[in-house]
Amino acid sequence: MIGRRRPLRHARWQAILAVAAIASAVSLPVVLVSVGGGVAAHELAELEDSGYQIVVSAAGLHGIENAHADERTILGLAGVADAAPILSVAIDAFNATGGLTPVLAEGVVPHEFTPTLGPTEAGLFPQPLPLADPNDTVHYANGTYAGPTDYQVLVSSTYAAAFHVAVGSRIVLSPSTNASAGVRYNVTGTFGTPLSLVQPSGAFAVLLLLSNLQTLTGYGAGPGTIVPDGADTIEVVVNPSIAVDPAALASVAAAIQGKFGAYTVTTLSSEASQLASADGVLTGFYLALSSVGLGVGLLFLALVLVRRVERERRSIGVRRALGISAGAVGVGIVAEAAAFAAAGGVAGVVAGYLVVEGLATWANATVQEAARLAIFTPLFLLELVGAVVGLSALASAAAVRAAWRVDMLEALR
Amino acid sequence: MNDGGRSPAIELAGVSRTYGARSPEEVRALRGIDLKLAAGEFVSVEGPSGCGKTTLLNLLGLLDSPSAGELRWDGTPVGERSDRERSRMRLERVGFIFQRFYLLPTLTAAENVELPMRALRRPRGERHERSAALLAEVGLTGRARAYPHQLSGGEEQRVAIARALANAPGLLLADEPTGELDSANAATVLDLLGAARARRGATLVLVTHNPEVARRADRHLTLRDGRLVGDRREA
Repeated sequence: MIGRRRPLRHARWQAILAVAAIASAVSLPVVLVSVGGGVAAHELAELEDSGYQIVVSAAGLHGIENAHADERTILGLAGVADAAPILSVAIDAFNATGGLTPVLAEGVVPHEFTPTLGPTEAGLFPQPLPLADPNDTVHYANGTYAGPTDYQVLVSSTYAAAFHVAVGSRIVLSPSTNASAGVRYNVTGTFGTPLSLVQPSGAFAVLLLLSNLQTLTGYGAGPGTIVPDGADTIEVVVNPSIAVDPAALASVAAAIQGKFGAYTVTTLSSEASQLASADGVLTGFYLALSSVGLGVGLLFLALVLVRRVERERRSIGVRRALGISAGAVGVGIVAEAAAFAAAGGVAGVVAGYLVVEGLATWANATVQEAARLAIFTPLFLLELVGAVVGLSALASAAAVRAAWRVDMLEALR
Repeated sequence: MNDGGRSPAIELAGVSRTYGARSPEEVRALRGIDLKLAAGEFVSVEGPSGCGKTTLLNLLGLLDSPSAGELRWDGTPVGERSDRERSRMRLERVGFIFQRFYLLPTLTAAENVELPMRALRRPRGERHERSAALLAEVGLTGRARAYPHQLSGGEEQRVAIARALANAPGLLLADEPTGELDSANAATVLDLLGAARARRGATLVLVTHNPEVARRADRHLTLRDGRLVGDRREA
């Protein structure tokens, strides 16, 4: 009895293995495309959510050398509403207890910075920014660092919560781990840092006057000296009518480029277009990579089907003897393959979803962040399962041929 | 059901069957058989092992084609028909019962019985109803959901008989149907075959080398070395 039960158990195991092979092959594109697409869509949404439309940047670290002067030049162009130079530097912060924490420092011109915040970001910052000298002209006057400064700083809410820092607290900001090289700042406000805006490693952040950060880190000149006046980018806000007119926007960008031949001037719409194009290329790459896995899965399915035909020669002979045509036997195999593929496809989608959920829960912070952005598009998932089911017909070809070659009388002996 | 129950009048004219012709392994399984089977007859085919009994049964049931001679059903040559046509004729008009039952191990008893009906695309409800009736007819009510490995040999053969009757065939071909059964189960199976044949007016051709089994038939064919050497009717 046990020996006679074996074919049934064997058939079930073969079915389970075939479904598992297809499932694992399908889960790969589900993970890659959903996470990759999600990250790209998020970046695209951030671009579209920005308050600025043009970015001026330069080659090299802090490559813009005359930030304040360049800002004024750009502001003088027709159609430009604001131009905000931004310098980003990793520095060290010492809290009241002397504890040292690396922080991401952003130097801005407050009056110009605020308009560059998109709808999402704007709600995270106090309005107006509680930094004295909103135009950064007192400390930085007439091309020299000469004026007085109040040494005011805004800290991220995560930093404030972690180190019990509040408005009125004092922290020391230093370009190195040596506190004596630093400067004491008054905390005048906090700002929000959602993980989607500032990556986990940058959740500890500070915002201060551009000239303060420049002199602190050496990217600006000392008091009374002439610049270098460094920044990473200048974010440009155009008038509302121009923002929605690609041709007018390109014209403003060209005007800026005309003033700064050595800098790179890009519009966010062109960046969005490039991002969408890159996303398309990446999706194609993911699918190409996945096709290898799918190929292996379908090959395994083909082998399982051929093996089943070999094991079921007698059953096929009996079916034929009963009058079931060779064509109907073949259709049965194709239908079985399609059923395995459909079951495997659905299981693969579920497995892919669970993998992404697992990554979003247990992976390292960077991967978690990406996994949380995953987007599962029903149409894509449906097409994927449909493609696998369609390809299963190809995978069943060898098994169908083997079944057709079964000698009925030989099988019945 | 369809009219598959109509029993064909079968005629073999000079039929021979040779395997591996013109090779060192050539086997002449049947040689010049001339035979007529009337519709509704109960015929036994006897003879020693290797005399061609199963080959004759395979030819009668269109599982095989003659190497020479002509096979006719109702006066129409059928030996050279296409595989598809012969499959269709088997499905609609022939019921096979094998010595080793040959139930499909991955299907339940009911599913095995339904198999020929599914191939004819009978509606699900009709299939269920008929398989239940056939299993009841062979005394297996309550065993419909059992797999072959959960059945005794006698029960398996009874399921095989139910399967053979599924499409109400006019021709029942049984190859040593009691060969693997004890005497009690063998008697039951023969009773069922006899009753099924009588109820439906089907032709029953039964291959056996058991004289006790052969005695139930109305007509007795004897084969030896591929030749028909005896054709006797009961008085």
